[in-house]
Amino acid sequence: MKKALTLLLTLAMTLSLAACGAKKEEAPAASAPAASAPAASTEAGSVYYLNFKPEADQAWQDLAKLYTEQTGVEVKVVTAAGGNYSDTLTAEMAKDAAPTLFQCGNAQGLKDWGDYCIDFTGTKVLDEMTTSDFNLVDENGAVKCIGYCYEAFGIIVNTALLEQAGYTLADITNFETLKAVAEDIHARSAELGFDAFSSAGLDGSSSWRFSGHLANMPLYYEFRDDGVTAQPATITGAYLDNYRNIWDLYINNASIATTSLPTATGDMSSGEFKEGKAVFYQNGTWEFAGLVDAGIPAENLAMIPIYCGVEGEEKAGLACGTENCWAVNAKASQADIDATLDFIYWVVTSEEGTQMMAKEFGPIPFKNAAESENVFFNDANEYMANGNYTVTWAFNHTPNVDSWRATVVTALAAYSADQSDANWEAVKAAFVDGWAYEYSVQNG
Amino acid sequence: MKKAKEKYSLGSTLLTVFFAALSLVWVVPIFEVVNNSFKSNNYVNLDPFALPNAESFMGFDNYIKGMTFGNYPFLKSAWYSLFITVASVALILLLCSMSAWYIARVKSLGSKVFYYLCLFSMIVPFQMVMFTLSFTADKLNLNTPYSIPIVYLGFGAGLSIFMFLGFIRDLPIDIEEAAAIDGCGPVRTFFLVVLPMLKPTLISVGILQTMWVWNDYLLPYLVLDRTQYMTIPIHVQYLKGSYGTVDLGATMAIIMLSIIPIIIVYLFCQKHIIKGVAAGAVKG
Amino acid sequence: MKRTQPKGTLVSRPIRKFSWLFLLPTFLAFCIGFVWPFMQGIYLSFCNFNTPKDATWMGISNYVKVFNDAGFRNAFKNTALFAVVSIVIINLAAFFIAYALTQKMRGSNIFRTVFFMPNLIGGVVLGYIWSMIFDGILAKYNTYLTANATYGFWGLVILVAWQQIGYMMIIYVAGFQSVPEDMLEAAVIDGANRWQTLFQVIVPNMMGSIAVCTFLTLTNSFKMFDQNMALTGGAPSVMANGAKINMTELLALNIYSTYNINKNYHGVAQAKAVIFFILVAVLALIQQYVTRKED
Repeated sequence: MKKALTLLLTLAMTLSLAACGAKKEEAPAASAPAASAPAASTEAGSVYYLNFKPEADQAWQDLAKLYTEQTGVEVKVVTAAGGNYSDTLTAEMAKDAAPTLFQCGNAQGLKDWGDYCIDFTGTKVLDEMTTSDFNLVDENGAVKCIGYCYEAFGIIVNTALLEQAGYTLADITNFETLKAVAEDIHARSAELGFDAFSSAGLDGSSSWRFSGHLANMPLYYEFRDDGVTAQPATITGAYLDNYRNIWDLYINNASIATTSLPTATGDMSSGEFKEGKAVFYQNGTWEFAGLVDAGIPAENLAMIPIYCGVEGEEKAGLACGTENCWAVNAKASQADIDATLDFIYWVVTSEEGTQMMAKEFGPIPFKNAAESENVFFNDANEYMANGNYTVTWAFNHTPNVDSWRATVVTALAAYSADQSDANWEAVKAAFVDGWAYEYSVQNG
Repeated sequence: MKKAKEKYSLGSTLLTVFFAALSLVWVVPIFEVVNNSFKSNNYVNLDPFALPNAESFMGFDNYIKGMTFGNYPFLKSAWYSLFITVASVALILLLCSMSAWYIARVKSLGSKVFYYLCLFSMIVPFQMVMFTLSFTADKLNLNTPYSIPIVYLGFGAGLSIFMFLGFIRDLPIDIEEAAAIDGCGPVRTFFLVVLPMLKPTLISVGILQTMWVWNDYLLPYLVLDRTQYMTIPIHVQYLKGSYGTVDLGATMAIIMLSIIPIIIVYLFCQKHIIKGVAAGAVKG
Repeated sequence: MKRTQPKGTLVSRPIRKFSWLFLLPTFLAFCIGFVWPFMQGIYLSFCNFNTPKDATWMGISNYVKVFNDAGFRNAFKNTALFAVVSIVIINLAAFFIAYALTQKMRGSNIFRTVFFMPNLIGGVVLGYIWSMIFDGILAKYNTYLTANATYGFWGLVILVAWQQIGYMMIIYVAGFQSVPEDMLEAAVIDGANRWQTLFQVIVPNMMGSIAVCTFLTLTNSFKMFDQNMALTGGAPSVMANGAKINMTELLALNIYSTYNINKNYHGVAQAKAVIFFILVAVLALIQQYVTRKED
């Protein structure tokens, strides 16, 4: 009884203080710690963030330390090993000291972890958001996960090399023109000293670019035609011929032998692009810093949509979306939930937090976002401003995503070594039958 | 003195040559680990069998990278591996030999039940209990390197007690009786009389359990609080980066670091190890 | 002097008072590490659960799902095949290597040391070493380890043989050394040649070692996990008749990956584990029974 009363009082206090904080819009960074301090004194809440991106681990650790120094609230950041996020999350959630803040980035995540997500409605961090496009909302309208950053992917172009080959970006407006340019560059690769595409490796470090991002193209167009907005039980694969078009173009216009693709890594592919041995490199906004660090001037970099021969694709934009959504553990203690909400509010409003976010994740969809120098985001925005349609991340609907992708990669690898129609049928089976199978497994 | 003067036949020399060649199959994989631990990742992928050249040679960079990879220092993993192994094996040797002696000497229902449970546990695969064991261990805070030896004791008790029992049953009880007549209590009898006689079994149980605990992956992976503690096998598995990127050069360097101490220990104690395995198997 | 009490009581009676010291600690740990998880495991195999706290009783539906799972059936088939192949290869090789090493031969101690060495290295580490080596070799033929199930299967067989031949060899060497000298001498006097001695004198005397090694290789191959996970992880996976099959997955890995599909599969994975346990237990009992009979 007494405990419940204390909890209630704490709750009331935190809420009223949070309201105060929201009023003082001018100094949000200062008010957030102020709000959390009294809560910490009655029943010390703490934050446990199970981070999803190993490459951002250090930045999160530093930020957490800074926050603890400033507010005294303990923030533990743990990064799951690559490819192991769902395993780690499952294991950690079963523990008594479960994560209070975790990633839940797609329909599948929402299905698995929806019970563990608080409703963000009415929280001050939600008020800070500039768009709700990247949030995940359940069937009752509860905002379960908030997209704290977004990303765009497409074909990254080294414009200097493109010009050296005698073309400009304006020459590429659809699949036909992309194909013409790429095949011409490939034919003259010996003379030019570079090839059209960097290697489309299917090693685990690289294959997600094709089983995830590239596969988004047929999925997006199919869902657009059929008006699909929720995860479908089956797909038709209506645009798989387009998928084949672009895949053939990638693998047949690169310096690497198609039989070597299965073991070719992501490092090899980015290496070829960084060393100026390839004009095109399919990847996303997150690559920007690495490319600039490798010595390619920002003004020589551009990102264009992935064209695959769909009618009207001249008006396509980049593929924008996110798998990076925060969820707050509803089964954590109220004090921990409050501490966690305070922490993320601080991350998206404070100077230190927004700087870090801009550096690691590009422009974040929050009012106080720091500027980003990433030219790929500028490209994404320009396409939007010109009225091109944004290719949304249809692959977020993929059931049992890792398993589905693994099967597609296996089939793609076999097809690449021997580009026969029979092998393409296996890719189709992995795509379409695999979807139905994984859907039934996931919901079985 | 006799052996050295014996003549080896031609057949035996041919056999030596054949086995020397066969040994290469056992040595080459280890050599390739050394070889690739000095090469940069791309060259490992390109041709793992090529020796390092001016372009691919990394010096000790892979080792440095491996030591600090993934924000979890390798030495920390190595320390936890060592601590868990030593503590678990010590605990198993002490407590299981004590229990085995009790079971051998006291014919009560309790000791009989425990004995049959031990036998039973030997045929239960780890997969049967792994999920539930991780829940139980978490509940009881057995998820740290300092408490996980209790889990190892529990799961390893069956085989150890069985092996100790096989030996104790052959021990003449007269010596213990004599000690009892001399006024030794059970504790002194055990530690002063029984335990010294158990030495060969202690060594074989110790070696079998050390090899198990040191190399075990799944149990610590499921039980330990991985956010704070890793062991060497877990560390190696974690070298897989974000989207499954594996820096093979650094991985090989870490593998090298994890193998070297074992090989050294092995070369020094190989007689005991080989005897222990043979004895353990014959009893088991 | 007449004994007033049966032999041993003098020792056993005082120990009884110390059961809290001799028996209790191990027994408690045994309950934590084995008895309780085992019983909870049986119970949870009939439940849908994320954690034991939120378990709901499902009856036998988990078991029904297991029997309809093509991936599990395939893993079972793989495991059985793998067990047969590796038992034969490992035991034959280990037996003959041990036989040769117990002959008069230069360097036999060094060879023993070398062949046993892989046992000191953990399965995960071995998996990574060998996947590098297999991929390196196969790359010369423009292919790779997970390109098809045959490579993965034989890769695992080679890895496991490489690892376990040394272990079994040690046991066989001990077996050879325990064959009574006088029987060997008698065989020589009787004019038996090398092969006759081997099959008529040595082998019958070594049935104990052969039984132990067969048992160990059998249970090792059924419980194989680390090497399987690190070498191929079950890849490649293909769609067949609308179901997904991980072509090189063995039972233990199948159980583990089932658990990780999502929380609705925790109960199914536990049911698979129970079936797996029964399978291993039955095999062990049959093996014990056969060996006893031969003794």
